[in-house]
Amino acid sequence: MSSRVLPQFDLLQPRNVADVVALLSQHEDQVSILSGGTDLLVWGYIEKHKTPYVLSLSAIEGLDNLDYVAGEGLRIGAKVKVAQLLKHPDVIKRYPALYEAAVNFATPQIRNMATVMGNVLRASPAGDCSCAILALGAQVVLQGSAGQRLVAIDDFWVSYGVTERKPDELAVELRIPDVTSETRSGFQRLTRVHEDLSKLNVAVRLEMEQGTCKQARIAMGCVGPTPLRLKKTERLLTGAKITAELLQQIVASAREEVTPIDDQRSTAEYRRQVSGVILKRVIEQALAKS
Amino acid sequence: MKTKMITLCVNGKDHRFEAPVNRTLLQALRDDLKLTDTKYGCGTGECGGCTVLMDGKDNVCSCLTLAVEAEGRHITTVGGMTREGELHPIQIAFIELGAIQCGYCTPGMIMKTAGILADNPNPTEEEIRKGLDGNICRCTGYEKIVLAVRRASEMMDTAQTRKVGGMSA
Repeated sequence: MSSRVLPQFDLLQPRNVADVVALLSQHEDQVSILSGGTDLLVWGYIEKHKTPYVLSLSAIEGLDNLDYVAGEGLRIGAKVKVAQLLKHPDVIKRYPALYEAAVNFATPQIRNMATVMGNVLRASPAGDCSCAILALGAQVVLQGSAGQRLVAIDDFWVSYGVTERKPDELAVELRIPDVTSETRSGFQRLTRVHEDLSKLNVAVRLEMEQGTCKQARIAMGCVGPTPLRLKKTERLLTGAKITAELLQQIVASAREEVTPIDDQRSTAEYRRQVSGVILKRVIEQALAKS
Repeated sequence: MKTKMITLCVNGKDHRFEAPVNRTLLQALRDDLKLTDTKYGCGTGECGGCTVLMDGKDNVCSCLTLAVEAEGRHITTVGGMTREGELHPIQIAFIELGAIQCGYCTPGMIMKTAGILADNPNPTEEEIRKGLDGNICRCTGYEKIVLAVRRASEMMDTAQTRKVGGMSA
């Protein structure tokens, strides 16, 4: 007999999004939403939350769209698995930050199960896809009984484990803005062994023009309660030629801007020390892919 | 609902039974169907001991899958790799190369190998090592496991790859 038995719950298996929203409105915060299950079904997690209902998205048709449309960008449905990103030519070609995050994400079997949206909804500062999605500047589409609303990813994570999603809303899609031929992006992370959660991760999106950075978005994880934008450091890049001297300033700036803590995976001191170096490396990596 | 009548297709055979909805696929396999070839390791998706193959191609952790959610999928466990009493080339490769010590991780390793080769019949050593991520062995140094995956890929032709998962006759 396996020693861990999941707590008792009632399983809801609605067949369409309208029914999901109706059930969420009816039961409010009594429901946990199940898709990949790699967070929710970890015994300690479900034990902690102990909602009387688990609502599964498995019977719903749709929500599995992964499409790129020129001029609009990438749309990732709520049921898209991390492994699907690895096979999508537009993700590989146009969104290297997201591709690299997916390549490095957990293990093959977890990538086959976990959804990209689930990583965002978990609102962990260590989420690898979350870090890339913050750098790329996505929007989260939330479906409620009154209709849809879009929340910018910058406003989506409120605090550790808490998002802007209301209990009666279903997150249905991630929208990542389009890129140009001058957009560069990248992702890197540090772990002890591959399958560990990150001790630090970083992603960048740079809009370049003849060697000058017109606009920069820097996202760093595991250095605050949610994935962080390093806005002061971004300002150093904006309008600047990326030189060795500038990169040294960026290393120093990132170290000042992060707010890491000690935990079981690393120390605040080490995270602060490496934050700048990893950021420098990911910028160099992003620019090399031209 | 608290329980549900489900039909699980495991190794090409249908099993109909009433499953509590909080039952994991791993518990259903081991405790309800008495198919104890799939192993319980960590229960949190980190060790790979409970890895099974879905629809002949996708590796998943049976400890993080609800049994009721596996309905309608073709589930293959290591017990389903043998054909008419003959070992599958992956099993032969593991035996020939001695890629086993205590054997506890082996069912997961074999199913992971089936998943790796279903996706990529001729993986490089790096691809094999990346593919084996998430399956932990505490006895060996992984060297022989990597060699066994390589050997299995050499032994298998495409027809045999397709046979994995009870997907074809």
